Amino acid sequence: MQTKLRLTVLTLILALQLSGQTRTEELLGRSAEYQKQLTPERNTGAEKALRKIQDDSLLQRINYGFNGLGTKLGGMVTGGGFGVGPQYLRTDLRDGTINVGASAQISTRNYRRADANFALPKLFDGKAMLDVRATYRDYRGIQYYGPGPDSLKNRTNYKLEDTALDAAFALTPLRFVKVGGAGGVLNVNVGPGKDSRFASSDATFTPAQAPGIGDQTDFLRYGAFGHVDWRDDPFAPKNGGSYLVQYMRYEDNDLKRHDFSLLEIDLQQYVGIFNRTRVFALRAHTRLTDTRQGQTVPFYLQPIVGGSDDLRGFRPFRFSDNNSLVLSGEYRWAIFSGCDGALFVDAGKVFPRRGQLNFNDLEGSAGFGLRFNARNRTFMRVDVGFSHEGVQVWFKFNDMFQHRPLGTADSQPIL
Amino acid sequence: MRKYTLLLRNTRTTDSLPAAKSAEFLLRLAPPRAACALLRNTRTTDSLRRYGTACFSIVWGRAFAACALFVLSALAIHAQKFRTDDPLEFEPRYPSVSEAAPRKLSDIYDLFKHTLDTPGELNRKGRDPIRADGVNTLGEPMQGAWWAKRHYYRPMTINQLIAGPGTDHPPSTNGPWTVVAAKNEGITPGFLMRDANQELYFIKFDPLTNPEMATGADWVTSRLVYALGYHVPENYLVEFRPDIIAIGKDVTLSNRLGKPRKMTERDLSEMLIKVPRTKDGLYRATASRLIAGKGIGPYRYYHRRTDDPADIVPHEHRRDLRGFAVVSAWIGHDDSRAINTFDALVEEGGRKLIRHYILDLGSTLGSGTGRSNSPRSGGEYLFGWKQSAAQLFTLGLAVPRWATASFPDLPSVGRFEHAVFDPEKWVPEYPNPAFLNRLPDDEFWAAKQIVAIKDEEIRAIVRSARYTDPAAEAWIVECLIRRRDKIGRAYLGRVLPVDKFALRGGELVFEDLSEKAGYSGAGPYTIQWFQFDNTRETTSPITGAATATLPADGGAYRVARISSAKRASQSVDVTVRVEGASTPAIVGIHRRWNDGERSTQSPK
Repeated sequence: MQTKLRLTVLTLILALQLSGQTRTEELLGRSAEYQKQLTPERNTGAEKALRKIQDDSLLQRINYGFNGLGTKLGGMVTGGGFGVGPQYLRTDLRDGTINVGASAQISTRNYRRADANFALPKLFDGKAMLDVRATYRDYRGIQYYGPGPDSLKNRTNYKLEDTALDAAFALTPLRFVKVGGAGGVLNVNVGPGKDSRFASSDATFTPAQAPGIGDQTDFLRYGAFGHVDWRDDPFAPKNGGSYLVQYMRYEDNDLKRHDFSLLEIDLQQYVGIFNRTRVFALRAHTRLTDTRQGQTVPFYLQPIVGGSDDLRGFRPFRFSDNNSLVLSGEYRWAIFSGCDGALFVDAGKVFPRRGQLNFNDLEGSAGFGLRFNARNRTFMRVDVGFSHEGVQVWFKFNDMFQHRPLGTADSQPIL
Repeated sequence: MRKYTLLLRNTRTTDSLPAAKSAEFLLRLAPPRAACALLRNTRTTDSLRRYGTACFSIVWGRAFAACALFVLSALAIHAQKFRTDDPLEFEPRYPSVSEAAPRKLSDIYDLFKHTLDTPGELNRKGRDPIRADGVNTLGEPMQGAWWAKRHYYRPMTINQLIAGPGTDHPPSTNGPWTVVAAKNEGITPGFLMRDANQELYFIKFDPLTNPEMATGADWVTSRLVYALGYHVPENYLVEFRPDIIAIGKDVTLSNRLGKPRKMTERDLSEMLIKVPRTKDGLYRATASRLIAGKGIGPYRYYHRRTDDPADIVPHEHRRDLRGFAVVSAWIGHDDSRAINTFDALVEEGGRKLIRHYILDLGSTLGSGTGRSNSPRSGGEYLFGWKQSAAQLFTLGLAVPRWATASFPDLPSVGRFEHAVFDPEKWVPEYPNPAFLNRLPDDEFWAAKQIVAIKDEEIRAIVRSARYTDPAAEAWIVECLIRRRDKIGRAYLGRVLPVDKFALRGGELVFEDLSEKAGYSGAGPYTIQWFQFDNTRETTSPITGAATATLPADGGAYRVARISSAKRASQSVDVTVRVEGASTPAIVGIHRRWNDGERSTQSPK
């Protein structure tokens, strides 16, 4: 009881003190109270960790590795599984004027791939570039459905093993224009598919149906390209256009049966409305081949349609023939700053003769998707495509309609 | 007991409201724990402390609760609303800061923290609004570490407006500018240099695609923000030849892996290649003089610094920070977040205090610093559940208003406009607790200062940014004027737009800021005088006192309630102290609006 009385008296004194004080005294009293609780400013553990990651460039270090030595993840051909392997990549040599890279990967499906690259991307004050690359690939079960637009939905597979050495040189005479030439050699070895889920292509198709199915040969390839690109942002275009024409000549050095020319035209147009928060992206892409008398285009170099980058309602590699045409249209709109929605329609076909380049007998697919962006670049997209052959769901770490680098090295349909 | 309860319930001050509730609760002899919880839930920490002893007593039993009730009631009755030193013009001389170590914040953490879990104590719908704290009884922030009275209160000349935080220490051209630190990563290149006078400056450039954009924006808005009372660094617009720059000893740059290496002349060349030059071959940049004192990192827009005895008001309740939402809307400062603030530990008058600055205003007026700002800027958050769902499910057919804005093709402006701009819908990149908490009186406080900046003053400030393109200059002026007027119309309309109260010749005089600015005024006004009991905090009308003339009788405190038939729900109470022979003085201003009736201003 004594304690209670004491407390009562103390409280009364406090109350009386409070009632008589000035504003300054009150504020200083608050400050004095607060002073008793003062501690050094501290960030939370999560903030400290994030700050450490930023300060120490940890993500960049993981990405670039130790002194350029790191790990390469992904990038394997569609259907090849998830690839992983060591990588050496330097893009900082001589202030970024020399790029050197090499990598070797093996995938969850035992696909293998090795690349080496040397580039001088800023020659003549950035007006020219030179790119030399060597590639070895051992893909054990590339999907193949047979030639022509009427191929059945029965999947087969074949082994594609090739080695290539290519060089490309490009000039940028005008701001939006790039012209250049490229040349290289390609050694190809095809064989029975190793994917036991499907029949081997060589057991299903004859050399007449699938030229080169039983052959090993070497190619010399060379050509030229021209590119006009006035897109507002090559990594996330919302306005402008990109028009590419590339002509490549493949000469069969070994068997002399598969000489052909390849003309590739890729036209892209972007129309952004409402401050580019809604974008119509249109693309027309054709690959046309030409062979002389008695020559054929080997099936593994024939244009392909179907998959995540063109007819998205169809399986990858679904159609192949001497020529191809793909028309795609996307409507993209901003959902929030890091994500766009997309509605798309694709139409395309393959055809044996160039004269059949028209809009007849197109296969169609449509669907929707999401584009996830960071720093104005799409780092992942999810597309769901519908066609009369079913539904396809794609998770890709690239932008739709992304250009492949120019030159012979990238003129192959399967990369 | 019942008498006390009713008395307490009828009072309107924040201080006595919790007391009333507590008393009422205790009278019902509620379980002691519940009563304690109620006390704990009172809003201000001040109240908590004040009733802390009582709370402690309650848990001892119902008998002791009666004593506590007596104390609480006595406190409520005897506390004075207006103290002898009200209104305080300046912050009191708080204790010196004993230790404040620098710390960095993570912008990524800040983004996620505010987007997914907005921190701080927020004003919520359906609850009593939490009025701004850190203000005097006139509703003005006290001058000091955060803010100072400037243009609205003591009109600055055009030269003073252009000078902003200072013109006395431009970088000296009498010797080399020695680079002492540099960054080659980030949005735009820049470096820290020491001039011949040994002064340190951050040099910041424009992006190649948008000459004059970021430097111009920084120049203009740092002056505007300064005129509005905030502390900003001393920035200069400089044009220089590259040969004035010398690289200091042991200056390092980080490569992309964060690995330091010695900076070379080539690095400097590479840096300068990325920035535009003037027609005369000069480089234009912002030279931001190093803020005096010891930099200790940014402050947050919520909670308090835990190392500063002067930081007694949670930042989300500071009027100056709440009002900064309106300022940010005006100048298009969507980057108004913690990392663009700065605290400096300075020594003044023999004590250490922390002064709070607004930094990096290069990302305003349509500038995104490294490029034109996004059209989304100010229109909506980077991420919001509702807005995203609306876009997702309407397939983008619900085009937000901000997306329909049109921007002139002016590289030195970026994306800045006035037609679609709506100050009441303007938002920064992600939720800011202080901005979210703003109430009409906070907005009025900021808007009245913005509206006070006249057309010719805006023109002069923008002209001083030396834009090469006259169209860019004209557009920025037009946008600032029109945006200012939108702000004025919006926020001078939510409370009675009367201010600048004074007693002249025994009459209460004031200005209708809305009318003065050329918007539609809220007058004519009616005045009713009340007698105010400063202890009991009760008012009673003074019969026949319904003019501007201060009534001859009516006690030491007399309240003029100003209202307007045009805005029935809004009123302003102006309290005048008339004590002895001293000159009557205005000591209190309290504004009411539609939703603010239940709330009272806390004169802390």
